Amino acid sequence: MVKLKLIYDPESASKPILSQVVLKTGVAINILEARTEPTAGELVVDVPTTGEKLREVVSAFREHGVIVKEIMYAVELDRDRCIACGACISPCPTQAISFDENWDVVIDDSKCVRCGLCATICPVKALRAV
Amino acid sequence: MTGELGAETLRTYEEINEKIKRGDAIVLTADEFVELAKSKGVKEAAKEVDVVTTGTFGAMCSSGAFLNFGHADPPMKLQQCWLNDVPAYGSLAAVDVYLGATAVSETKGIEYGGGHVIEDLVSRKEIELRGEGIPTDCYPRSYIETTITIDDLNQAILLNPRNAYQRYVAATNSSDRVLHTYLGTLLPHYGNVSFSGSGQLSPLQKDPLFQTIGVGTRIFLGGGTGYIIGEGTQHCPQNGFATLMVKGDLKEMSPRYLRGATIHRYGATLYVGLGIPIPIINEKVAETAAVSDEEIFTEVVDYSVPSRDRPIVTKVTYAELKSGKVFLGGKTVPTSPMSSIKMAKEVASMLKKWIEEGTFLLSRPVEPLPRFREFKPMPLKKYEPRVRDVMTREVYTATIDTEIREVAKLIVKHGIDHVPIVDDQGRLVGIVTSWDIAKAVAENAKSLEEVMTRRVIVAYESESVDVVATRLTRHKISGAPVVDSAGRVIGVITTDDLAKLVRRGA
Repeated sequence: MVKLKLIYDPESASKPILSQVVLKTGVAINILEARTEPTAGELVVDVPTTGEKLREVVSAFREHGVIVKEIMYAVELDRDRCIACGACISPCPTQAISFDENWDVVIDDSKCVRCGLCATICPVKALRAV
Repeated sequence: MTGELGAETLRTYEEINEKIKRGDAIVLTADEFVELAKSKGVKEAAKEVDVVTTGTFGAMCSSGAFLNFGHADPPMKLQQCWLNDVPAYGSLAAVDVYLGATAVSETKGIEYGGGHVIEDLVSRKEIELRGEGIPTDCYPRSYIETTITIDDLNQAILLNPRNAYQRYVAATNSSDRVLHTYLGTLLPHYGNVSFSGSGQLSPLQKDPLFQTIGVGTRIFLGGGTGYIIGEGTQHCPQNGFATLMVKGDLKEMSPRYLRGATIHRYGATLYVGLGIPIPIINEKVAETAAVSDEEIFTEVVDYSVPSRDRPIVTKVTYAELKSGKVFLGGKTVPTSPMSSIKMAKEVASMLKKWIEEGTFLLSRPVEPLPRFREFKPMPLKKYEPRVRDVMTREVYTATIDTEIREVAKLIVKHGIDHVPIVDDQGRLVGIVTSWDIAKAVAENAKSLEEVMTRRVIVAYESESVDVVATRLTRHKISGAPVVDSAGRVIGVITTDDLAKLVRRGA
């Protein structure tokens, strides 16, 4: 399972590209977030496949001029809201969160298993599960 | 005090304030002073430094604000008052209320509380005010609904009955379920340790003998200027748990240092930034101001025990707690604070800056804080029933090899719903209910093992019935075996037993 961010340019924003990719590859892509503006669009999708099939999906989007980025992180940290209390650190079951040398909270995306506990318990709602 | 070693005056408050006004006072944060004392020795550090600034930034539930709204026309006496749906205490004069940090919204629950209203007030946001009162000749109005901002108020005074705990116990959890406490989320089986307090930056840790801290000490409070007005509630300095009561003008404070917060499944609160300047008036003060994280101890307490007297698991230093790991129960356990060390450092630095810029002068306390205060528990003078008073002692158990049919017979014969499964020593290993037996029949199960519950919710006979009733409700179960300290089954407590208690009470 991979999360992809799809950025549509003005020309492709109005075309049913996602449907075409689903039909072409047969992969059941799930839309997690969609943001459309008059001239462009941005989608976050879940692609339930790996390896060769995933590469096929990515290149299908690219053929249509869509910019494809893999989302590595599962939680978003709003630094303006964060008070760096650390309440999210030791409860993290995979110890993906820690302090840096300035006592700011940092998240190691490679360790994160996307359980969402940190977002649930954050006292000031600075963390959001993506 | 004269003649006592180290008590000779190095500098007076007046001399320090003169230097501050001239812009040449030497000010260090507590972190910097600890380092200086380590490298040059306390004596030398005391000679060089005039003021040490401290800081803490933690969830301080015992906080709140007095607000005066002024009179409407026609006027009313606010008997009950809500600010953004959060109730404020109105049993004062007509338009005075006290808004507590932990009061919760009647529409949003703990997601929005008094602490959030205080943050929104200092952010100069519009707040919805709703009030109810009994009309009188003086105050004819009975209902009011309007919006206010902090600038509309005559006074907005932060007045916190208990802030800036000198230190706090750290929390862990020996049980097999996740706990959500005021010290944060605690993973099962000693999965983590959560702590609070800023250690060597903590204001009360730096002058625990109250040589410079007392009634009238001017402090950094919520980004503005505040004052210590006395000991805090539960002040217990002889055990290292001194606290402060503080006040300050909310109108001058900043949302950066006053943050509304929600502790998951616990409640609403307010994070408060608080810092105290410690004038190095003599070497004795310098000695306590130089105390480092390595020398400040606190206890790690097991919060899975639902009692006031929770067992102490171990003792650790703030240096260990801040390192991110402690050794506990034979393994290395991750630690993290609930209070912000980054913001505590920022408070100490900000206060240092104010003093260096000459905008903050030190004040001599008019009275020191008490060095001793008894910390008493609440006496329970009405009888409270315990599990042993209501539990059923005739308990029918089975072993893992008992035939399902035999268990069914037991249930029918004695009219019971719960059959604990025990080993040959009588120790609990599982439980089956009449529902499990029905399921066993429906699914054609061959043995008890297939249908029994292994992770059994239990009760102890000394526990309060109230606590056990909450436990049964939380797990949506109708009964629990009562076990002794060795895990042997000595009875069962069921919702039927609890119902009897209500009848008895009536």
